[in-house]
Amino acid sequence: MTRTQERHAQVTDALLRLDLDAVAYVPSNSIAPVIRGLEEADRERVAADGGRRRVFPVSREEEAVGLVGALPLAGRFGAIVMQDNGFGNALTALTTFTVAYHLPLLIVANTRGGLGEYNSMIHAISAPVPDLLKASGIATFRLDRRHTPEDWGATVEAAGTHARMTYRPVVVLMEFYDIPGEGSVA
Amino acid sequence: MRRIEALRVVAELCSDLPVVATCAATSRELAATGDRENYLYLLDSMGLTTSVGTGIALAVEGTAVSHAVVVDGDGSLLMNLGALATAGYLAPTSLLVVLLDNQVYASTGSIPTQAAQIDLGGVARACGLRVTAVDDEESLRRTLGEELQAPGPTLLHVRVDPGNEPDTALLLIDPVVHGARFGSWLQPRLG
Repeated sequence: MTRTQERHAQVTDALLRLDLDAVAYVPSNSIAPVIRGLEEADRERVAADGGRRRVFPVSREEEAVGLVGALPLAGRFGAIVMQDNGFGNALTALTTFTVAYHLPLLIVANTRGGLGEYNSMIHAISAPVPDLLKASGIATFRLDRRHTPEDWGATVEAAGTHARMTYRPVVVLMEFYDIPGEGSVA
Repeated sequence: MRRIEALRVVAELCSDLPVVATCAATSRELAATGDRENYLYLLDSMGLTTSVGTGIALAVEGTAVSHAVVVDGDGSLLMNLGALATAGYLAPTSLLVVLLDNQVYASTGSIPTQAAQIDLGGVARACGLRVTAVDDEESLRRTLGEELQAPGPTLLHVRVDPGNEPDTALLLIDPVVHGARFGSWLQPRLG
């Protein structure tokens, strides 16, 4: 298993341990294995208990914030899987709904801008995302090559707990990039 | 039919159901019909009403709460048309959207919306929702009553007159307190 695959497995398992009532996702190549892992586990659960699917796509990030963000009003809790360039879409929904109404929500997002990114345009939104989230009062935890895959899983799980304990949205930003030839840092 | 007349019908028939209302004048007018604990006013979340209502609908499915009622507007829905796609994709049987279509952004100077040319009921139907067009108070009361006895997802496409009710009080409430009130009303009913 590659280091990237280990991270995917750790994040997937952490999200499953949180026993989420819903996971809405907007696609990203970097975290497609996480989405596939969650969907596979969801299919198995549905086959076993006959319940409704809990892992599903949405069209845009703000829609996910409205839908999954509403669950705590009914005593439920969920997560969004997305990439960081979608925070521009999501920011009004995050601030006027989940932040303003104190609604716990976990968001795990892979980063795009930064080291190794091939798309020259995407830096323009991805680079300021941490500052946008900070300025909006949204707790954010960051993972990169300096953390072990186990750290990634533990942080995602703890972030879910943190969201519930603080009654707020919490974001985990995951940078999958590894510097070629650097070897294992963590 | 004026919007507040449609809202009075919703209030009359949905007194024991969660009702999620779109922001600005619609929420203020719903509150003016008589504020209730089962109302969730989205004070400033533009375009989010049907998404929030779909989340509530998923949560109440299979519980003693038969429906989650969404009061949306054409302008709000047009800001987030993907919400209809997700509502149709997930198809929560408890989702009932009351779309109050006045073809203008009444809260912001009555500037026309695209609904003047686009049939939002047709969009909802294409997304898989059962759609009924309603254009007067009596047919709204009858249709809403019937749909509250049936599984969704459903959208009532309600034509209302442009304009806001004059002298409606602002909702100067704390969203945290307001959301907690709604949650405290809803959660004990979910079993």
